[in-house]
Amino acid sequence: MKKNVNLAVAIGSLKIKNPVMTASGTFGYGEEYAGYVDLNKLGAIVVKGLSLKPRLGNPPPRIMETAGGMLNAVGLQNIGVEAFIKEKLPYLKNFDVAVIANIYGETYAEYSKVAARLSSVKGLHALEVNVSCPNVQKGGLSFGCDPRAAAEVTRRVKGETSLPVIVKLTPNVTDIAVIAAAVEKAGADAVSLINTLTGMSVDLKTRTPHLKNITGGLSGPAIKPVALRMVWQVVQRVSIPVIGIGGIMTPEDALEFLIAGAKAVQIGTANFINPRATMDVIDGITNYLMENKIRDIKDVIGTLRT
Amino acid sequence: MAKEIFIGEIVSNEEIQKEFFLMKVKLDLSFDDPQPGQFIMIRIAGLNDPFLSRPISIYSFSRGKNYCTIELLYRVAGKGTRVLAGLIKSSQVEINGPLGGSFEIKADKKQIIFIAGGIGIAPLSLLAKQLYRSGCSSKESMSFYLGAKTADAIVGLDKLQKLCYNINVRTDDGSFGRKGLVTEAFQKDMKKYSATDTMIYACGPKAMVKALSKILTGTKFHCQASLEERMACGTGACVGCAVGIKDNKGNLTYKRVCADGPVFDIRQIVWE
Repeated sequence: MKKNVNLAVAIGSLKIKNPVMTASGTFGYGEEYAGYVDLNKLGAIVVKGLSLKPRLGNPPPRIMETAGGMLNAVGLQNIGVEAFIKEKLPYLKNFDVAVIANIYGETYAEYSKVAARLSSVKGLHALEVNVSCPNVQKGGLSFGCDPRAAAEVTRRVKGETSLPVIVKLTPNVTDIAVIAAAVEKAGADAVSLINTLTGMSVDLKTRTPHLKNITGGLSGPAIKPVALRMVWQVVQRVSIPVIGIGGIMTPEDALEFLIAGAKAVQIGTANFINPRATMDVIDGITNYLMENKIRDIKDVIGTLRT
Repeated sequence: MAKEIFIGEIVSNEEIQKEFFLMKVKLDLSFDDPQPGQFIMIRIAGLNDPFLSRPISIYSFSRGKNYCTIELLYRVAGKGTRVLAGLIKSSQVEINGPLGGSFEIKADKKQIIFIAGGIGIAPLSLLAKQLYRSGCSSKESMSFYLGAKTADAIVGLDKLQKLCYNINVRTDDGSFGRKGLVTEAFQKDMKKYSATDTMIYACGPKAMVKALSKILTGTKFHCQASLEERMACGTGACVGCAVGIKDNKGNLTYKRVCADGPVFDIRQIVWE
């Protein structure tokens, strides 16, 4: 039955078997969930964000539950690009799935170096550039909040790699479409959005923030309407593929993003409470197509009637 | 190995003492035998508030002919456990587990000491039972130090009395056992035990484990402590449940309580 529908999509030159990816930082390096899901069935795995050097991350407490979601301030703890290549990538090569490395840096040079290093190895299919981190050289303002800085990061990364480059955008800006347009002009092959929304939570007993970092990134179903609105705005502004992220829990959530114009989606926080969320979304999209006698997912993408 | 999310059926969910509940859950036979110290993530399917699953350590386990049963001893500590406490018989819960590592059993240690604060009794009870059943330890060689704020927070004692002869109880207000801290009770007895022949297992609030860590500084006692931390995934992916741990070179690293723990060598824990 399932053979009757075509779920394959293309993100620039990256062809994937279905539009469902894992969101960076919510699926580890694949291994953590390999017991629960068949990694071969995923559209793509976006691994936890990688920096040039290993990073300790923030002191705990790092997470706090909120209504319909959670705050996190993990602080991009990761093993660094070298350990990833040596210890994690070989495992991922065993699977027939697109592997996307999420990268970040604190300076333009760091972005360049990480991109160059990852482009020198086999087994990766694209780079996703996290521009939400603070720009150390510019007083800590996030690269992704400044169209010029976001564009510069994009140019630097593009200059180091022949892999498709996806720029992951932060929603903590006045107009996300402006940033999207800037990175498109700088050569981005696609954009993915949204990263987490900055939030906060207070403990009434101690009158202290629940997170040691004071603020953290909000994710989960609470942010879905905001994410969907931003995806729709960006789709109208750019002509490169848009990947929708933000609070997707169910196939219906994913379909909303696709109808709004996202070519693919990423499942993030949902993995935490349902390790099989990605599989449920893929199956649900397939069923939706069959029930509506649609042969190809492309006939769903960007069909929003306004 | 294939892992699955189990749909558990609640057999009973009783308030055994004010704010303390004992939940029995029936699970499919494919549920692995849990090791002492391991936990499960539990949630009510489809619920968005509370949104996350809750980590609860396994208090007891039995394997029948047609199904397994796990027992969860928990305290109502917030929104998540409050909702769990409201579940009635035959309700369904989603269970992921058993998760995490377990206490390491040292067969060469003659004396076993357990130090528990409040609900920390749960995993240590399972461990005591396993040590006794496996013949590793006798009732005489196991000493249990149990502490809580008040008598109302002393739970699971009846079961423990069948496993250990030597149980010392302390409460902050003296409403049960002697007045004082459980760690002080152990400290007073410490001279009685040979450090190299003794294994200490601890589980309780951070302040208790921290106090114990101080007491053990400079001694040769080997102690494993099970830690608690807020968790999102329970499987190691979110890196939310971080705890400061000294690596081999003595440098600070952050380990995941869920996947790298929840049991750690007490000497490696970095207290902030």
